[in-house]
Amino acid sequence: MQKWFSAFDDAIIQRQWRANPSRGGGGVSFTKEVDTNVATGAPPRRQRVPGRACPWREPIRGRRGARPGGGDAGGTPGETVRHCSAPEDPIFRFSSLHSYPFPGTIKSRDMSRKRHHLIPETFGVKRRRKRGPVESDPLRGEPGSARAAVSELMQLFPRGLFEDALPPIVLRSQVYSLVPDRTVADRQLKELQEQGEIRIVQLGFDLDAHGIIFTEDYRTRVLKACDGRPYAGAVQKFLASVLPACGDLSFQQDQMTQTFGFRDSEITHLVNAGVLTVRDAGSWWLAVPGAGRFIKYFVKGRQAVLSMVRKAKYRELLLSELLGRRAPVVVRLGLTYHVHDLIGAQLVDCISTTSGTLLRLPET
Amino acid sequence: MLGFLSARQTGLEDPLRLRRAESTRRVLGLELNKDRDVERIHGGGINTLDIEPVEGRYMLSGGSDGVIVLYDLENSSRQSYYTCKAVCSIGRDHPDVHRYSVETVQWYPHDTGMFTSSSFDKTLKVWDTNTLQTADVFNFEETVYSHHMSPVSMKHCLVAVGTRGPKVQLCDLKSGSCSHILQGHRQEILAVSWSPRYDYILATASADSRVKLWDVRRASGCLITLDQHNGKKSQAVESANTAHNGKVNGLCFTSDGLHLLTVGTDNRMRLWNSSNGENTLVNYGKVCNNSKKGLKFTVSCGCSSEFVFVPYGSTIAVYTVYSGEQITMLKGHYKTVDCCVFQSNFQELYSGSRDCNILAWVPSLYEPVPDDDETTTKSQLNPAFEDAWSSSDEEG
Repeated sequence: MQKWFSAFDDAIIQRQWRANPSRGGGGVSFTKEVDTNVATGAPPRRQRVPGRACPWREPIRGRRGARPGGGDAGGTPGETVRHCSAPEDPIFRFSSLHSYPFPGTIKSRDMSRKRHHLIPETFGVKRRRKRGPVESDPLRGEPGSARAAVSELMQLFPRGLFEDALPPIVLRSQVYSLVPDRTVADRQLKELQEQGEIRIVQLGFDLDAHGIIFTEDYRTRVLKACDGRPYAGAVQKFLASVLPACGDLSFQQDQMTQTFGFRDSEITHLVNAGVLTVRDAGSWWLAVPGAGRFIKYFVKGRQAVLSMVRKAKYRELLLSELLGRRAPVVVRLGLTYHVHDLIGAQLVDCISTTSGTLLRLPET
Repeated sequence: MLGFLSARQTGLEDPLRLRRAESTRRVLGLELNKDRDVERIHGGGINTLDIEPVEGRYMLSGGSDGVIVLYDLENSSRQSYYTCKAVCSIGRDHPDVHRYSVETVQWYPHDTGMFTSSSFDKTLKVWDTNTLQTADVFNFEETVYSHHMSPVSMKHCLVAVGTRGPKVQLCDLKSGSCSHILQGHRQEILAVSWSPRYDYILATASADSRVKLWDVRRASGCLITLDQHNGKKSQAVESANTAHNGKVNGLCFTSDGLHLLTVGTDNRMRLWNSSNGENTLVNYGKVCNNSKKGLKFTVSCGCSSEFVFVPYGSTIAVYTVYSGEQITMLKGHYKTVDCCVFQSNFQELYSGSRDCNILAWVPSLYEPVPDDDETTTKSQLNPAFEDAWSSSDEEG
């Protein structure tokens, strides 16, 4: 398979190919030009778009976020830009947007177009370049990016708010905001779920909102919560037998009674303990004891942050400005936590501008 | 490109690779072009478009004013600026025109001599293209939302009709009456689609959140009801399998018929394996869908990775089918887009919306180097763009 293409052809493609501005933190956008005078037979390797950190793909270090983890020296959000190293290859040179070797039309591109990812694939260049920014980010150099995203987001959860009685909960939409490809993120989360590393829990307010908890955290918190209570025995039996065996979000009546041998009284104990939530006659969701407060804060906080954007002029706000504002009292979980969730759930559109990332409410 | 061409020439690569690579590149470059236009005939929003599968030359459009227009898409003028003209139309003065809005039009799959149209006036009409008369009319008790005729079948001439009632009716063109009824849905049927791979497989989507796959030869119920959770027992026992968490608005098979795409009012699009009904769990993100009736979207054909073009508000969102990545949003319409079709010979997309316009999205590549001066004596400009002032002192 041909892995190189002539300079002529490359120049045609280059006009359509630019560094994707929506992944750039700053306003730097440039295209690679091919010096057409250098007709070369050497395989011109297309230089990779650098691992410029997308501002929302790292956990946003809020200036006033409630972070019991303490003051990491957080960089200013939305402004980390990594420039790629100068290529050794003499064919490529960086130039401004406005100079082209061909007198063709300069067509303005919509910022959301990432289609240049497929052009290299079509012409035989390795597809993995599309994952470039994610993998080369030195902050998150792990191969399993959903796993890394979950760990990072767990740092944002305010443990002190719930007196450590609640395990840190992360939402699936927050993982989407850090891992750009949703299908891959879903697949990786499913793998983690099957390995038993995380539990996915249905948070009651939305059919799509799933909370992600580390299994270990869940187990320790639940045991601590039911210590000395009358239902402790049933809960321990549940944690020992059902949790490792069945990784689903919900349980059915016949599954509980026949497969795992729970009596009705024990199931009632579990519901009283808060480990199971009644969903229908004969089926239950897996639940986190004490999560009601979290869900209440979360829903109120989400609405509050959305209303901050809604009240802004033109219904849009720079991310840096939003994070710099004082959080309303209703927002107990931290602005950065909610912003990740809003971006991942596509409740706001993320547009990259020369002043950073802009959050705008969608028109529809 | 030259690399591909030389590889094809020397036999290092399959000829199909070059074709698919070029098709993909063209699809990735779709945009509005000032040189291509579609004549505006409709006075109301455009609900449906269909391009004939034989040559890809003629396009039908049905509007909410009941008018059906036939366009010629081929550029037979030597100029680059071209308006797709309407060859003929069935306007409000035609004696057999539909009384209410036309919801679906479809060419007869095997030639352009005939086409079918269905409308809110509870009829399905079969038209003869050359005389523009109705050859047959099927009447129903409820408004018709959608109809489809199998594009590959040689053995039957059944038209599947989805109406406001929960039963899917199959009308036979040869005999002129309804041949049988498929029961199983509980609310109105918003979309129907035959499989492009098998003669007898039909998919129907309904407002009760279910998508069912049928073999029409079978007397008993449907083959599969698609389940978004893939059979895991995370639904309670009473509620059966649902494909979406809201109404299912649109259906489209991929061109090889192996996968099925569905969109629903829960703002999701799902990709299903059409042989076993499994949800492939490809995540396209939020695909806004506020349509109360069907949404007609389309899949590209002949590219190396197929693309799906979904009307998304007043734009058209383009995603890769199998990986779920959003490529771009095509902006150009003023109001909600209702339908789009893909012309696979030239990789063009035509979309119709409620602002009564049909827009043509054409691959934008580099412009050809202009010819030498002696061959272009006439102006290349559309007269509308020419300057009207004169530098002389006199009037005019």
